[in-house]
Amino acid sequence: MLAMRHISKVFRTDLIETHALRDFSLGVDAGEFVAVTGPSGSGKTTFLNVAGLLETFDTGAYLLDGVDISGLSDDERSRLRNEKIGFIFQSFNLIPDLDIFDNVDVPLRYRRMPAAERRQRIDSALDIVGLKSRAHHLPSQLSGGQQQRVAIARAIAGDPKFLLADEPTGNLDSLMARQVMDLLEQINEMGTTIVLVTHDPELARRAQRNVQVVDGQISDYRPFAAQAAPAMAGALA
Amino acid sequence: MFRDIRPVLSALLRNRTGAVLVGLQVAIALAVLVNAVYIVKQRVDLIGRPTGLDVGNIFVLSSAGFTQDHDRYATMREDLAWLRSLPDVRAATSTNAIPLSGGGSSTGIATTPEASSEQTVPMNYFQVDEDGLEALGVTLAAGRNFRADEILPPDLNSDRAIPQVIITKALARSLFRTDDAVGKVVYDAFGRPTTVIGVIEHMQGSWLSWDKVDHVALVPEVASWSDNAYLVRTRPGTRAAVMRQAEEHLAASNTTRLIKFVRPLDYYRDRSYLSDRNMAVFLVTVTVLLAGVTALGIFALATFNVNVRTRQVGTRRAVGARRADIVRYFLVENWLVTTAGVVLGCALALAAGYQLSRQFELPRLDLYYLTGGVLALWLLGLAAAWQPARRAAKISPSMATRTI
Repeated sequence: MLAMRHISKVFRTDLIETHALRDFSLGVDAGEFVAVTGPSGSGKTTFLNVAGLLETFDTGAYLLDGVDISGLSDDERSRLRNEKIGFIFQSFNLIPDLDIFDNVDVPLRYRRMPAAERRQRIDSALDIVGLKSRAHHLPSQLSGGQQQRVAIARAIAGDPKFLLADEPTGNLDSLMARQVMDLLEQINEMGTTIVLVTHDPELARRAQRNVQVVDGQISDYRPFAAQAAPAMAGALA
Repeated sequence: MFRDIRPVLSALLRNRTGAVLVGLQVAIALAVLVNAVYIVKQRVDLIGRPTGLDVGNIFVLSSAGFTQDHDRYATMREDLAWLRSLPDVRAATSTNAIPLSGGGSSTGIATTPEASSEQTVPMNYFQVDEDGLEALGVTLAAGRNFRADEILPPDLNSDRAIPQVIITKALARSLFRTDDAVGKVVYDAFGRPTTVIGVIEHMQGSWLSWDKVDHVALVPEVASWSDNAYLVRTRPGTRAAVMRQAEEHLAASNTTRLIKFVRPLDYYRDRSYLSDRNMAVFLVTVTVLLAGVTALGIFALATFNVNVRTRQVGTRRAVGARRADIVRYFLVENWLVTTAGVVLGCALALAAGYQLSRQFELPRLDLYYLTGGVLALWLLGLAAAWQPARRAAKISPSMATRTI
């Protein structure tokens, strides 16, 4: 689904060069739920931006669902984002002036879908996140958890190949966070690949695999279960 | 574009203060712009009306005697003889009034000797000699010019009949309902007959704001004005030189008079239209300023909307909007604001046009101008929003993931 090989990304100013990603390689298979963790400033967000085609990279190769990203035009990258990727942001990023229905409709409109199909997909996505009855409420009329569920509905309405979630529970209390994570797991069980970027090890534990980024490089690259087993064994002893 | 309207309108209606203000600005701009342009067009048409005269090659020279032994008619004969001898002078005549100048003589004539005042047709007349037609540069449509022997001496008491007259077509139509007036007889205010011997194609008289400015008659008579005034028509390109030459010579040739002025005929036409021209310039200035302020308002609203929606634009880009989609979004939003203003502006423009036509007896607003104004403001709105929209399109999709 996602194959990054030797990706590097450098941010330059007149005085400073910051190597946000260096020789970064990661593969994610279809249907996986991968958590990318790391301390603040480690390169998680840069990874998310590059993986989500929100930013370009300097060197390396990136295949997304078999498509070589290098050399794609801005419009082609937009089309790929729209068709293959669903985004879930920490701050929900709902459009405050649009009601819930229209918020979920935003990416579908950019795909030039017929109105009837859009309506059916929006109803279905809102049904999955349990907010169909709130379709004509404004984001400001919903709680944080509900807003994030709307964002998830927006992300899945276009039936993307994979979801990129950026600290999706960062602005939620623990109960809401649990509900959102339950929802993500449910979506993953339906076959959608999920890459979760977080600094919260508790959340990362719920993923099938945990990848840690430090200084723009992957420092640990093992399934979470394999990481946790020795510690658990030690604790039980 | 139209598929974007509903969500854009929906978002716009939830943040309408700025949009309402700019919409009102557009409405007022349209109402003022359309009526101002319409009035300017009328003024331009008025100023551009054909005079029938060879304005660009005619000048006026006026002199007045200041000694008791000054013989104005002898001087006039000498002056005209000298002027006519100049190779660059096509013709010169004495005159009682200057066409287009705002000053002149008028009377009423009729087709019957006992005409009532309602049956009398007002006209502006000029006393000229046999060079009059050529000196004015007017075109004789029918009949003939005056002969030298038909030119009457000055009549200081104005109490004699004029045997012949040349009139304009417009005057002929008012008198006889036809251009064919040659040989017909008209009567002055005292019932004295005068035969029409020629018809001029077109000529404007003294008062350009008069609705009968083209009711003009030429009378074969030595001018009995207090000063000597000559209309001199030169060959193309020589007027300025002839004016200087004439002023110098006539001032020196007779020391019992002074030259009061030597002016091109354009001077009088321009002076007569001065208020119209000033109004046109003022209205054009106001219109341009208003259009500029309106464009700034639209630009400011679009810029504000882009600035407060940086994250939103990043999110739209992240979920698949192309740059063109972002440009279109802001242009559609601006178009909706402009259109709302334009709709209100149409009503205001028509109401203002109606009031202007009632208060100042102007013609009713031509709807072509309204249509043109609407198109102009739409284009202005799109042009003003273009740069902010393009700037919005350059916002990176990665803005969606930034937390600051």
